[in-house]
Amino acid sequence: MTPGKIYMDNCVTTHLAPEALEAMLPYFSDKFWFPGSFISTGEASSAALKEFRATLAGTLNAAAEEVHFTSGGTLANNIAIKGLALANSSAGKHAIVSVVDYPDLLTNAAWLEKQGFEVSYLEPDAEGLVSADKLKAAIRPDTMLFLTTIVNHVVGTIQPLAEYKQVLAEAGHRIFWHADAGQAYGKMPLDVKDLGVDTLSVSAHKIHGPQGIGALWVKKGVKLAQLIHGVNRVDAFQTGGLSIALIAGFAKAAEITFANLDATTSRLRELSNHLLQRLEATIPEIELNGPRGEGRACHNINVSIAYIEGEAITMMLDLQGITVATGSACASQGLKANYVLMAMGKNHVQSHGSMKFTLSRYNTKEDIDLAVERLAEITASLRQRSPLYQSIHPQEK
Amino acid sequence: MQYSQKVLDHFMHPHNVGKMENPDVVATEGSPACGDQVTVYLKVDEETKKIEDISFLSYGCASNIATASIITDLAKGKTLEEAKKITWRDAMEALDGLPPVKVHCSVLAADTLQTAISDYEIAHGLKEVPNFGKETILEELKKIIYPQVGEDIVSLKMVKYVGFDKGEVLIDMNMMSFDQWRDNVAEEIREHLGKYPEVKNIQINFP
Repeated sequence: MTPGKIYMDNCVTTHLAPEALEAMLPYFSDKFWFPGSFISTGEASSAALKEFRATLAGTLNAAAEEVHFTSGGTLANNIAIKGLALANSSAGKHAIVSVVDYPDLLTNAAWLEKQGFEVSYLEPDAEGLVSADKLKAAIRPDTMLFLTTIVNHVVGTIQPLAEYKQVLAEAGHRIFWHADAGQAYGKMPLDVKDLGVDTLSVSAHKIHGPQGIGALWVKKGVKLAQLIHGVNRVDAFQTGGLSIALIAGFAKAAEITFANLDATTSRLRELSNHLLQRLEATIPEIELNGPRGEGRACHNINVSIAYIEGEAITMMLDLQGITVATGSACASQGLKANYVLMAMGKNHVQSHGSMKFTLSRYNTKEDIDLAVERLAEITASLRQRSPLYQSIHPQEK
Repeated sequence: MQYSQKVLDHFMHPHNVGKMENPDVVATEGSPACGDQVTVYLKVDEETKKIEDISFLSYGCASNIATASIITDLAKGKTLEEAKKITWRDAMEALDGLPPVKVHCSVLAADTLQTAISDYEIAHGLKEVPNFGKETILEELKKIIYPQVGEDIVSLKMVKYVGFDKGEVLIDMNMMSFDQWRDNVAEEIREHLGKYPEVKNIQINFP
């Protein structure tokens, strides 16, 4: 068995594109220099960095100088949230976040509370959607910051950004808006000129780029407090020596993904639809978590399989080289049921039996058919052992 | 820490799994809300009081399934008196250990076996229905595992005081204020004691 032969946990990290690896190699060896002026090595590095930044900016319809490289999405989220809060706290110390946001946002919100901010936590509906009405109701005169995760990392729900934009525009005062686009980048069009956000974070390794590099888009004119102090070698916000090689890999991965974003996303949508169709046709008593159709990111399918527990399922799949994720408490280090599913009103059994498939362009229909076939066998075998299943289907043996 | 090969073997190919026709006793412990549930079926020889046959069902994770499997192996052919001595520690040892965070999943199967034996003994007039008291509470607390180290909270001296009066349980705990497992432990205490009709209210105090 090859570990992760059929890999369907792409919301955690993705297979590095061979083209991205190729693009990085010269910067690990011959072209190892940092950017600089007046000497040929520095000039060459500066020129390369400029090109990579322009490539990234192009994927977001941004200006190149608005794109800042960071050591990943979490760094970008921290630089943006803490930076916005500290630079603008004189305007108010109230922030809004939702209980289903990505942990980066929730842990930063908890940090804000320790700094004397008040934080309002918005609840989702049964499909993980946080309505603009809830945002509107939470806004106060001292609200200065709103945080959102564009695509929910558990159930793939796409939040209503256009409606948020309108609510924030009608708030009567300036509210800064940071968006985590970790699961959205490369899965849907993101035009920062239109979105209405002030800062937006993305990560390379979610789109087949290397781990350890991400970017923060900061709208021109928006001020962030400086969090990381040091020499500005590559970027003004994350000072110090950011890897040019990783940036080269990021740019190449973005270039491939965005060369034809429509084609990339429709293929993922087709694979997801196929997966869901196979799951629902093959496994009885299974339910989709989160929205069906266009309201959901094109790469995410999350289902609950009744009467059995997710850690057992993922382990059995893993032993056959198939990697998926579960929201079961048993599989988490904190022994807690998945907080997103619980906030959506799912019960413990639904959360313990939840399976999350996140697809990439390297998955095939054949992979999916095989994974579903194996999952169906595992489900039948675990249900035979399950007292819950036996109590509801006593006639079967 | 990874699961041992023995855990994986018992998880993938559990022994004595399945519903039993005409058992002498059936016991179920745990609940779907807690994330795991085990049912144990026993057939007991009335003369020799030996466990002639045993099987289980499990709604739970790999560790839960593997422990239930090994517990049934350990109990099969034993007299009730012998089987009463089987604990989660024996199961864990027989499985070459479990990751600390998964030890608590092993308690349920051992617990269900003991409930089945006790139910059999009560039904056959071999023992009285035990009175609920401080001792019962302490026995239950010994089944609660502190996930960080995989030991029970009584052995770890995390329980400072136990009181019981007119349905009111009072427990003083010795856990640091920043301990990340405080909520888990409190929740488990409530689950373990909440199943007794004698318990009306549970107060858990942390420093």
